[in-house]
Amino acid sequence: MSTAGVRRGATGFTLLGLAGLIGLFWMSFFWVSTEVNQGIVQRIFYVHVPAAWTSFLAIGIAALCSGVYLWLRDEKLDRAAVCAAEGGLVFATIVLLTGPLWGKIAWGTYWNWEPRLTLTLLLWFVFVGYFMVRNATEDPEKGKRFAAVVAIVGAIDIPFIHLSVIWFRSLHPEPVVAKPDGPTLPGDMLATLMVGLGVFTLLFLGLFLFRYALEGLRSEADLRARRPAS
Amino acid sequence: MSAYFRQVCAIVKKDVLLEVRSRDRITAMGAFAVLAGVLFNFSIDTTTTRPQDVAAGLIWMTLIFGGLLGVGRTFHLEAQDGAFQGVLTSPVPKDAIFLAKVIANFTLLYAVSLLVLGVFALFFSLDIGPNLPWIMVILALGSLGFVALATLFAAVSTGTTMGETLLPVLVFPLLVPMVVFGVGSTGRLMNGRPFDEVEGNVRMLGAFAFAAVAAGAVLFRYVVED
Repeated sequence: MSTAGVRRGATGFTLLGLAGLIGLFWMSFFWVSTEVNQGIVQRIFYVHVPAAWTSFLAIGIAALCSGVYLWLRDEKLDRAAVCAAEGGLVFATIVLLTGPLWGKIAWGTYWNWEPRLTLTLLLWFVFVGYFMVRNATEDPEKGKRFAAVVAIVGAIDIPFIHLSVIWFRSLHPEPVVAKPDGPTLPGDMLATLMVGLGVFTLLFLGLFLFRYALEGLRSEADLRARRPAS
Repeated sequence: MSAYFRQVCAIVKKDVLLEVRSRDRITAMGAFAVLAGVLFNFSIDTTTTRPQDVAAGLIWMTLIFGGLLGVGRTFHLEAQDGAFQGVLTSPVPKDAIFLAKVIANFTLLYAVSLLVLGVFALFFSLDIGPNLPWIMVILALGSLGFVALATLFAAVSTGTTMGETLLPVLVFPLLVPMVVFGVGSTGRLMNGRPFDEVEGNVRMLGAFAFAAVAAGAVLFRYVVED
């Protein structure tokens, strides 16, 4: 697809996502019923869970593209990996900011070393390392390879981190949607959550494509800048 | 296969010989370990905490920090005078180079980890006697997993402009499983609990070490290719 095409797609997804975000905020503030036990604070769930879902999606894409990049050495794959990693970092930051806000009221503490919190925090650090490695090499090709290795090792480590942290007692609420015997969430809450998942995924896709087009333009500019010299 | 084995042995021999002759890294790591033990001793208020209760965690922390100090310099000497190019252009497969580096580093770190164990047992008056063989096995598995990750990322950080300062940022987030399983098992064994209670931890530590070595052996070629 041409850069202009990617940008058109990006604009479309982002506008849809932003419009959806207004809808999601309206739903979660005014429409959905208040949860009995946790009260008003539970409404942050409609931002927190979609952001977590999106960050894991983004990190999955980044790790997958990194792996295939090392194999095929297609520039496009590296570009996709870096854009997805950036999106993953942004959404993981949202998760790490909204979680403690809820935790302070529901748990009485901003932070605890619960498996999902810990995993998100560590993944956040892995991808900070990803960008540090990328930017710390003189040869960009080398930076791309190093970053891909960081992403892959990070992905391999996820099950170990998860299992190890489960060794400690878990405080995090149990899943209410992805369960073998179907969701236990009341209808309106489930609807709001699903809208949230859709909206955040659209926003991620929009941002991802914008970044992808930008990376494409940047490499094109690099190429043009180098041409007269050679 | 035997050629592969010979190649690995040749590089291990070279690295161990270099270390035996220069004693650079082993001295630094050993001194670090003993001094960390001294400092840790004064960081514990014995009126509120029993040193024995936190000793296992401190041993693993000393191992990680001290290990990073030594393993971070794995490629330093060879990178300085371009000798590593020679190793890379030799007909040895890249994964053999990685495995050899891991074995050499492991030998070094395992020696240091036994020193750490002895020093901490002395400083914190730990009763490690009955479970000593198992504690040594656990330290070996932990050292192996750590060395595999740290060697891979030492190759990465040596290739960057930031050098060794980047290494902790890359390695620490990945070490959580090692610390959880390692401290969980050694701590209980030092308190005289039976091995059955920590068998799960030890198995997971072994799986972690295996995965780290395998991942490093596969990915190392992408780090050093030029």
